[in-house]
Parts: sequence; structure tokens; C-alpha cells
Amino acid sequence: MNLLLEYQSQLIDGTIMTIKLALTSLGIALFFGLLGAWAKLSHNRLAQRLAGAYTTIVRGVPDLVLILLVFFGGQVTLNNIGAATGLWGYIEVSQFAAGAGTIGVIFGAYFTETFRGAIMAIPRGQIEAGISCGMRKSLIFRHIIWPQMIRFALPGFTNNWLVQLKTTALVSVIGLQDLVYNAFTAGRSTGQLFTFMAAAFVIYLLLTGISDLLLRAVERRYNRGMVRA
Amino acid sequence: MSAPAALKVKDLHKSFGLHEVIKGVSLEAQKGEVIAILGASGSGKSTFLRCINLLETPNSGEVWLAGEQMRMTQNRRGEIVPQDLRQVEAMRARLAMVFQGFNLWSHMTVMENVMEGPLYVQGTPKAQAREKAEALLAKVGLSDRADYYPAHLSGGQQQRVAIARALAMDPDVMLFDEPTSALDPELVGEVLGVMRDLAEEGRTMLVVTHEMGFARDVSTRTVFLHQGEVCEEGPPAELFSNPQTPEFQAFLSRMN
Repeated sequence: MNLLLEYQSQLIDGTIMTIKLALTSLGIALFFGLLGAWAKLSHNRLAQRLAGAYTTIVRGVPDLVLILLVFFGGQVTLNNIGAATGLWGYIEVSQFAAGAGTIGVIFGAYFTETFRGAIMAIPRGQIEAGISCGMRKSLIFRHIIWPQMIRFALPGFTNNWLVQLKTTALVSVIGLQDLVYNAFTAGRSTGQLFTFMAAAFVIYLLLTGISDLLLRAVERRYNRGMVRA
Repeated sequence: MSAPAALKVKDLHKSFGLHEVIKGVSLEAQKGEVIAILGASGSGKSTFLRCINLLETPNSGEVWLAGEQMRMTQNRRGEIVPQDLRQVEAMRARLAMVFQGFNLWSHMTVMENVMEGPLYVQGTPKAQAREKAEALLAKVGLSDRADYYPAHLSGGQQQRVAIARALAMDPDVMLFDEPTSALDPELVGEVLGVMRDLAEEGRTMLVVTHEMGFARDVSTRTVFLHQGEVCEEGPPAELFSNPQTPEFQAFLSRMN
């Protein structure tokens, strides 16, 4: 226990980094998820195909491969393009940007499916009722589609988010000092790996537990009018 | 010059792919008329109604509401589209629709369902919208259900809420698309009762229905559609007692 207190600032910093990374990549994932769902449900063939390729590729490749590919391959590619076109000089891809960006794009593919399913679960007739009242598309989206989409998407969202939060642990391989990285480093230098990994275990469980509680509260809020089967 | 018809539809055509569902239907409803539209399933009667407020886009034809034409145009791909979406939206707001499946917004209470259109489409102040919704719910006999969600109501109650929601828009013309077809038989009466009251008030109504009794007793004019065309049309007393075409005779004998 004393050992943990001695290294508490590293554990706290690592936890903060994990949370930052998770929230940033969640923002990116939600953006790509909504964009992807919109594209898949649009009448535009090109948009449908691009979104289809996106979800197929991303969901078919291990997260770790993508993270390493973006971090090591991305920097080289960016600089090659920069050198070839002369548009920009040497760029160093930050570990945080590579990690958050890649995890965001990966989970965007899962959110695409979650949101698409949720929108499709809204009875078409309710949208027609809005149209026939003379509502504009934006009003129909805000008042009829959005609240019900959230409701239908929440179970899938909760699931995606928990997996995403845990996936941030992968960024330790590109040297980003998240909870896993710091716990592992401290454990190795003190020779007490078990103690530090157990601490990481408990902290992750706390984070997912808190998420679960919060999301359940949101679910109650959006469950208005829903009949439990 | 007499006032323009509340609703005028001229030579409406609609195809799904190669299959022509509506083959040139024209119809005029004067203010206060209740027109019952009958026809076997597949006769195109629901499609016709849905073309009037552009839930389906007709391939050709005109729709006029109190002398104002819904302006359509062709886009670059040759599809018929509204020339001015804002105009179409404004006209839809004057053409309330009641659906077979009620289509109440399930995440809103009964009160919120009825207030939604006046509040957000028409910009009515909240207090006024609430007052109006309360009056309309009283009219359809559901004052005590204002705070319920649709899922907690019977089909007949949901359809009465849907009628109140339509009335809240102060529509010029009301379109009813088989309003009682999804109801258990014992619930049909309460919905038809409300519709009968509306007819007596002088509302202009187009009612696609299988309820022969309603057509015969309440409509001012009955139209029988067969394979996408008007087959017979006239005052119900004449039409029902003396059907002219073999198609309508066959239809009536099947319904009775």
C-alpha cells in the first residue's frame, strides 16, 4: 500500500490520461458514427459505398494493427506527401493524436451500426406524421428522430463505450503514458508488478462502474413512453 | 364567381416502377363536404390520399388547396419534385392527416403530441397551444389521458388523440387513411363517433374507409375507386341503392 502511495502521482496522471484519451476518442467516434449512419441511410450511392467500405475495413482489422499502422505508417506517409507536394514541412504525429484519432475512427465504425440500427427502429409512420403536419426536416430530426434514436442507441452505446474505454489501454504500445503504461513502468521498476497491475485493475473497474451508473441514469431519462417488453 | 373548391385534384397519376397505381383521378371537395373513398385493397385509394399531401410524389397531376396550386417541377434527373419545399410544407400544415396506424410520437405524452404542431410549426404561444390542446382532448373525450404516453392507451384512444393532433393544426381539409382498419371491432365506434361529429361541424374531410355504414350515413359524396380509376361517384343514397357498374355491385356484395 505504501508503495502505491509513493507512486500515486504516476497512477493519477495515467488515469487522467486514460480518461482524456477515452473522452477525446469518444467525441471523434460519435462524429464518425453519426456521419456513417447518415451516409448509410442516405439515398446517395457514393456516400453509402464509402460508409460501407469504412465499416467493413475498420471492423475487420485488429485495433492494435490499426494503431501501429497509423502511428508509425501515418507519420511517414504524411511527411512523404508533405515533401512531395511542398505543402508542409516535417510533421511529428503526437502519440495522443494518433491514439485518440485511431481509436475514434475505429469505434466510429461500431457507432455507425449502432446509430443506423437505432434510426431504423423508429417507426416510419411517426416521421410521416411529422411530414404531414408540415414540419421541416430539421424539426423532424430534432423532435422525433433524435430523442428516439438516443433511446434505441443507448444499450449499444453503453456497450461500445465500455469496450472503447478499455481499448485505450492499447496506446501504451506507442508510448503514450496512460494508466497501463504508468502502472507497468512502476511495477517493473519496483519489482511489484502484481501490486500495480491490481491497482490498474481496480481503477478500470471504477471507471467502467461509474460509466455504467451514469448511462443508466441517462437511459431512464430517455425511456419516457417506452413500454418494457 | 364562386369560391374555389377547398380541395381540387386534377388528373393525378402515380406509378410504382412500371405499375401504374393511379390512372388519372380527379376530385373536387367543396368546403364542408365529406367524401368517402371506397375501393378494394389495391385499388389505389390510400396511395391517392398520400399523393395529395405529397407523402408519395405523383408522376403527374395537380393539387389545389383553396385556389392555391402545389407547385411541382422536374429536377435534373427528370423526377417530379416540389418547386418550393416551404410552400409544400405550408400546404401540408393545412391538410391534416389521420393514419391507419395512428402514428403518435411515442416519446411524447398525449398533450405533447397535440401541442407539437401548433407550437413548433405554427409558432403558437405555449399557453394558447395548451389551452387549445385541452379543448381538443375534451372534444375527443380524452381529457383525463393528457399525461399518458401513447403506449398506455387503447387503439381507439390513440386514434382519437391522432384526430385531436390533426385538428390542432386548424386544417382546411382533413385526410383520413383507413382510420378504423387497425382497430379491434369494439373500438371502431368511438372513432367513427368523433368523425361523425366533425362532419356535422362542417369540416371538409376525405375519408378512405372500409366502413360502409359511415360512407352511407355520413358522407356527402362517395367515390368508388377501381384499379386506379374513379369507377362510380355520387351521393351515397343513390350510389348504394343503385350501383351502376358490375365492379361496384361486386364490391358491395363482398362487403355485406
